[in-house]
This record gives sequence, C-alpha cells and structure tokens, in this order.
Amino acid sequence: MRNPLAPTVFLLRNTSKTLPLIGVIVLAVMLIGGIVAIMDSIPLSIRTTYGYSKAYLGVSPRGNMAMTPILRHIVKTESPVPLGRVMTCRVSDCEVKSIVGPWRFAVIGLSQDDMSYYLDRLGGCTITGRLPLPGKAEALLSEPVARNLGKKLGDVFLGPTDSNNYSPNEVRVVGIAHMKPWVALAPIEYLEKYHFPPIDLLIVTAKDIRQQDKLDHWAYERLGGEMARTYTYFRLEIETADMFKILYTILNVVIALLVVVITLMMAMLMNIYQSQRLQEFGLLQALGYARKRLMRRVLSETALVVAGGWILGVVSAFLLMTVVKVLLMDPRAFMLDPFDRQAYLYSVPVPIAIFLAATWTIALRFRRFDPVGVVERRLV
Amino acid sequence: MIEVRNASLVYDDHGRQVFACHDLTLELKDGEFLGILGPSGSGKSSLLYLMCGLKTPTSGEVAYRGRTLSSMSEDERAELRLRQFGFVFQYPYLLGYLSALENVLVGTPTNGEAKKSGISSPWTNGWATEPAARELLTGLGLGDKLHRMPFELSGGEKQRVCIARALLGGREVVFADEPTANLDHVNGVAVVETLVANRGSGSLVMVTHDPTMLEKADRVVTISDGRLAASL
Repeated sequence: MRNPLAPTVFLLRNTSKTLPLIGVIVLAVMLIGGIVAIMDSIPLSIRTTYGYSKAYLGVSPRGNMAMTPILRHIVKTESPVPLGRVMTCRVSDCEVKSIVGPWRFAVIGLSQDDMSYYLDRLGGCTITGRLPLPGKAEALLSEPVARNLGKKLGDVFLGPTDSNNYSPNEVRVVGIAHMKPWVALAPIEYLEKYHFPPIDLLIVTAKDIRQQDKLDHWAYERLGGEMARTYTYFRLEIETADMFKILYTILNVVIALLVVVITLMMAMLMNIYQSQRLQEFGLLQALGYARKRLMRRVLSETALVVAGGWILGVVSAFLLMTVVKVLLMDPRAFMLDPFDRQAYLYSVPVPIAIFLAATWTIALRFRRFDPVGVVERRLV
Repeated sequence: MIEVRNASLVYDDHGRQVFACHDLTLELKDGEFLGILGPSGSGKSSLLYLMCGLKTPTSGEVAYRGRTLSSMSEDERAELRLRQFGFVFQYPYLLGYLSALENVLVGTPTNGEAKKSGISSPWTNGWATEPAARELLTGLGLGDKLHRMPFELSGGEKQRVCIARALLGGREVVFADEPTANLDHVNGVAVVETLVANRGSGSLVMVTHDPTMLEKADRVVTISDGRLAASL
C-alpha cells in the first residue's frame, strides 16, 4: 500500500484543489512563453530575412560612383584573407511582409554566372524553373520569399503599377530556388537599364566561408566611413541587438509584473487551500507529526504542483506555438521558433516565485499554529 | 511511567491570569486505566494535554519514564507522541481523502522509516503495520468497511477508526479526551469497552464528565477548577 501521507496521494485525491493551481501556472507559463516567443520572432525574422549577408560582404561607394573600382582594388590587394570572388552588382528593392509590417528587401542584380556562384555560396539549391536570362525582365526568388509574397512561377514580381515593388516593366518570376536563405535575384543588365541608383556595388566573398567574418570586420574598419558603406552580418547582429535593447527592457518589466501578479494570486489561492486544511495539520501535529515534517510534506506537495504546472505549461506553450507556426506563420514565411529556449527560460521565475511565496505563507501559518486549538475545535 | 509534579498551566486572558491546571501532582503507572473526571471547563483536558506533551506546563514538570518533557525538543516530543502515545479526541477526526484503513495507518512508520530509525517491524510487505491495521479494524467490526471513505461512515464507526489508529502499533499510552461525548450512551459504553479491551498492556488515560464511562477504570481522579479534588 502507498504511504497515505505521500504528497501525491493528497494531490491526486484532491484534484478540485490541485487542478486550478496547476491550471493557473500552466496559463502563466503559456502566456509568458508566448509573449517572449512572439517578441523573439521579430529579431529572428530580421536575422532570417537578411541572413544572406552571412555569406558575403556588400560594399557600396559613398557619394562618388567612381569609387567602386578603387574599392575593388583595395579589397583585392589588402584583404586579410584569400578571396573567393569579387562580384559587381546592382541593387533595387522590393517589399516583403513581416509580422510587424512591410520591410524593404534587396533585389540583387547579377550576371548569370555570378547568380550561380551566389546561390552555391548560400548553400546550394535546386531550382524550379530557371535562372533569369541576361537583360530580361525576369527574377528568381528563393522559396521563402515566394511564399512570403505569394508568388509562383510566371507571376509578376515587380511592375509599373505596384509602387512598393516598382519596375517600369513587368518582372516575372522565372525561377524558384529551394533554399532557406531569402533571396531575390534579377539580371544585372536589366537593373542597370531600368533602375536607380546607377551605382555599381561589390559583393565580396572570402574563399573559405569560415573567414568571411574576418573579412567583414576588416572591411568595416578599412572601407567604412567616408569611403564606402559596408553591409555585413556582424553589423546586422549588432544593430538588431541595439534596436531591441529597449524593447527587451520593457518586456522584462512587463514579465516581472506578470510574475508578481501571478505569484500574489497563487499565494492567495494556496493560503486559502492551506486554511481549508487546518484540521488536517492540527490532527497530524497532535498525533505526533513535527512541524518540520508537516512543512516538508506541504512543501513537497507545493513543489510537485509548481514543477508539474511549469512542465505542463512549457509543453502546452510548445504545442500552442507549433500550432501557431504551422497555421499562421509558415504560410507567410513568418518566423516563430517553438524551440525558443529564451521563451521558456523567461517563465522559470514563475514556479520559483510561487514556490518561495508558498513557503513563506506555509512557514507563517505553521509558526503560530496550535494543534490543541484544532482538536478542541477552537480554530476550525 | 508519566509523572506530573506540581504542574500548573496558566493562560493569559486579556491580561488576566487563568489557571487551567493548578499545582497538579499525579502519576500514571504502566498498564493503568486512569480516569479523569470533571465538569466542563474544570481543566481535565488541559491535564491530558500536559501529560502527553501537547502543552508545556507554565510551572512544575511532567516526566515520561524519568525524563521531563520540557527537556525534550519539539521534535522529540512529537516523536514520542507519534511512536508511544495514541490519541482519541472528542470529535472523530479523520483525514477526508483517506480510507478507513489508510486513516488507521497514519502515524505508523513505513518499512523504510522503521529500518531507518531502528524500529522493530515484523511486517515486510507495504506498510509495516498494514496487516495489523486490517486485523484491528476487523476486530472493531469494520472489516467490511476498510476502504470506505470517512463520509461513508457513521459517527460511531468513525470513532472506532480513531480508536484503531490510537491502538495500532502497541502504543504505551492511549489518551482519550471525551471520546464518548458525541455518542449516545450505548455507543459510548461500546467505545470505552473497545478501548479497554484492545489496549493490551498499554495504559489508558480517559477524560470524561460522565462517571458511568469510568466504571472499568483502575483509578479515577476528579478535577475541579484546575485542582485535584479527589482520587478514587
């Protein structure tokens, strides 16, 4: 036979008391996990949407279009790492959707040979359709971009009637690259002819992709400032982190307030439930259960409720986020990570705070507890 | 076995001192059935709480087998109550979420606890004293109600479960505080007879205001206004 005073016995046989407590914790963890995961999805979207910059360094001259050959020369002669390729490109832009509204996204104009290299550099892919032909009003989109914009082969990607995705001619999708990075490519000749600004930019790759970051840092120091503007992944990371610093500070305050509210509510609920058990505690203490032993038992019950609630909350939050991702986010290629550890870590203070509050409440209750008052029915 | 020496228990009632027990001296012997008789508010229950260590005397002392209870820590006194003393209270307190059998087993050591504290345990399957608890409840006429929950038992049946809880494990002393107060006379007599018949070699201290319940007592002391009025 099971120990009648085992914590699980009370919890399992008093589900009308146990389940509401667990339910509140589950909802709290889901709420916090959900808020943080949605918040995290914004920088995650930035890193994913513009993640192509991990594979190369972008350089554009400042002020003087004639600087491009000089920049090319500097890169080629002074690069601290062996270079893979230095490509000339033109850039236009289009609009992609995000959960916080439209974002501008680069349409990169490359020669056909450079397009193949570029796609290989980003990890390689299979293509449904084909690469855009030189000089033609054609585009290749990677699968996430096509999904985000709802485009398929033959659809107009840029056009004269779309002010947000403008081109004087209808630029149609002729290829979809099956790869994770977000990419939109068009023939360099077409962008040179029809799009502003008429500036040649450079795309520079390190021969060994593991040295790309070193090249990026060097270029930022050597070429940045008056001479050129550099586009690097490490700057994207820094700027994203800066951008969200204040937002995360606000998030921390909101979550701290949530934890306080939930903890107070739970402490009140637990206090009510403990009050309903005065007779039990009095009887057991009169029979010979020392306060410490009773405290240990009640705290074990509390720990089980709190830990169980948190685990269930994390599982529920994970399931909820997976459903949201599959039904709402994936069809639009929006980012949401159900495995976002930070989202679950943010919910850890909930069980800890509740357990501490419960311990305090229980300790207070037991400190002045007189079992004789209970068995004589003065306290119940 | 238990000696009460010049023990007083004083309550503070809004600045006024109230003597629940006043300079009481008595001794409980091994195997003795001691009755404590007195009207309501006379201090008889307070004496019982002093004897079992639930209350500490304001002055004087209470000793169990030569060792004063006040020299013991709270944990030691609790352990003494848990292992050596049994209790039957006026109200048949049972834990509502445990069956009759489980309620009887509350307070007895598990096999693990028995092993850890060196308590001899003749049983080895599940709870150390489970077979004895079944036997005891069956002997008290509750053999078919072992797994009934408290709300399914009558007042008399509940009190019998409480008696089984107090007797299980061969306690040295059973303290009964007005165990018949909420029962009719027939059930009350039956409860006392059950206690007397099943206490084995242990002592029994019973507090009551009804002298007819103490006919089988070896000795009866009468308490009035917190003082020992007579010993018969």
